[in-house]
Amino acid sequence: MLQVKDLKAAYGQVQVLHGISLSVPKGQVVTLIGSNGAGKSTTMRALSGMLKPTAGTVMLGGQSITGLPAHRITRRGLAHSPEGRRVFPAQTVRDNLLLGAFTRLTIGSSRARGDIEGDMDRSLDLFPRLRERQHQLAGTLSGGEQQMLAMARALMLNPEVLLLDEPSMGLAPILVEEVFQIIGRLKAQGMTMLLVEQFAAAALAVADYGYVLENGHIAVHGPAEQLRNDPKVRDAYLGSAH
Amino acid sequence: MDILLQLLLSGIALGMIYAVIAFGYQSTFATSGTLNFGQGDALMLGAMAGLSLSGSIMGGPYVNYWLMVPLVLLIGAFQGVVVEFIGVRPAIKTKSEFGWIMSTIALGIIFRNTAENLWGRDDLPFPSPLPTEPLHIFGANVLPMELLVVGGAILMMVLVELFNRRTIYGKAVVATASDRDAAGLMGINTGLVITFSYALSSMSAAFAGVLIAPITLTGASMGAVLGLKAFAVAIIGGLTSGMGVIVGGLLLGIAETTTGFYISTGYKDVPGLVLLLLVLAIKPSGLFGKKAIKKV
Repeated sequence: MLQVKDLKAAYGQVQVLHGISLSVPKGQVVTLIGSNGAGKSTTMRALSGMLKPTAGTVMLGGQSITGLPAHRITRRGLAHSPEGRRVFPAQTVRDNLLLGAFTRLTIGSSRARGDIEGDMDRSLDLFPRLRERQHQLAGTLSGGEQQMLAMARALMLNPEVLLLDEPSMGLAPILVEEVFQIIGRLKAQGMTMLLVEQFAAAALAVADYGYVLENGHIAVHGPAEQLRNDPKVRDAYLGSAH
Repeated sequence: MDILLQLLLSGIALGMIYAVIAFGYQSTFATSGTLNFGQGDALMLGAMAGLSLSGSIMGGPYVNYWLMVPLVLLIGAFQGVVVEFIGVRPAIKTKSEFGWIMSTIALGIIFRNTAENLWGRDDLPFPSPLPTEPLHIFGANVLPMELLVVGGAILMMVLVELFNRRTIYGKAVVATASDRDAAGLMGINTGLVITFSYALSSMSAAFAGVLIAPITLTGASMGAVLGLKAFAVAIIGGLTSGMGVIVGGLLLGIAETTTGFYISTGYKDVPGLVLLLLVLAIKPSGLFGKKAIKKV
């Protein structure tokens, strides 16, 4: 579904990604793990068009989306729940969700309209806390609720691929567990996902395949099961912290 | 007492005009962090285009005042698109922090020069669409046109607010204003939203132009002072607050009319500008604004 080849990206003069290749097959969950500053979020930003890659190709469903602006990539069906949640604080939870479906609601966009109300309902079923707060302003939600809103908003695109960047960041342990349960449920529904996580153990438990990113390079990759048992990965990422 | 009421009512009408123009400054600032310093000239172009359509200076009148207004709004919107395309987009693209300041001023001057050559340098009367006999309200004399100014200004702001709250396109504008990158991830073409906000901004200035023209005079230089005062209003009220421009506009409008009467018309601009200096010294983000001024 998503094919990335030799992707390079930089912030100004600072090269951050030195040629990343990865693949997210349809219906699978692929995780990208690595320490702070390895380039995980930069990879996500380069995939969704928030950052223009300097080299390499990104193919979505067989078509190149390399270097397109974010809004055009979104129209092709790639949803990105970004690092730091980035919900629209002055708008209601419901409006945030409708904005997630923007390309399905407007003329001239390429996404099929489908059943918006039904999808809204299913999103709110998936995140019951949001249902209670659907008429509240997003800025009044707690961090965990905002994270759920960011995920639900991305789902409203009805995406071909969902990018989840650190969905557990800054959440209480009980909420982290809840977020991973939801990721598991989305996987069971057949959602194709690329997951960036610091909780490497939890990410490898839900994923089918994993890539380990070190200083802008892919250091190791393989089936999630295999990475979980790889001594080097265990020492570096699954050590005493988990 | 009657005099005071009279001054208050005139001040309100004037203040609402300032508020409409200031609203235009806000609309582009919200989406792009930039301002159209040719806003006063957009107002002038609106008024001159209106006079050409419904007055007799260009062989007209072609349409009456009420049909002229929507046409002028379209002209204003188009002018805004031109300003954004030529003056602002390159600056945003190259992330130039100050490029747009000079280019919007330059475009304003070009528009003013063009207007001087097209319509001359003299001030022209604008035929009033409403009776010019004042109405008596609690002993004060009010021109029907002044009521239209207040009503029109409120109507415009209510319509924009409804658009922002009720339609998916309006929600997209609000989302772009609050987080441009995240709005892009929603599939919103944020560059187009910025163009739209410039169209809306010049459209509101052109609207202010045809509202105020029948009670003042119309001419190529009419916009300069209005645009500058409305900028003061936007700073006083806060560049991010819709309520702020209305309150700021009314404060400045009433300060002008009362000072003009009780002290001297020569000093009528002073209290408003003193208020501006006070606000800048004490609460630089404006009376109602949040910390946004650093972006200017």
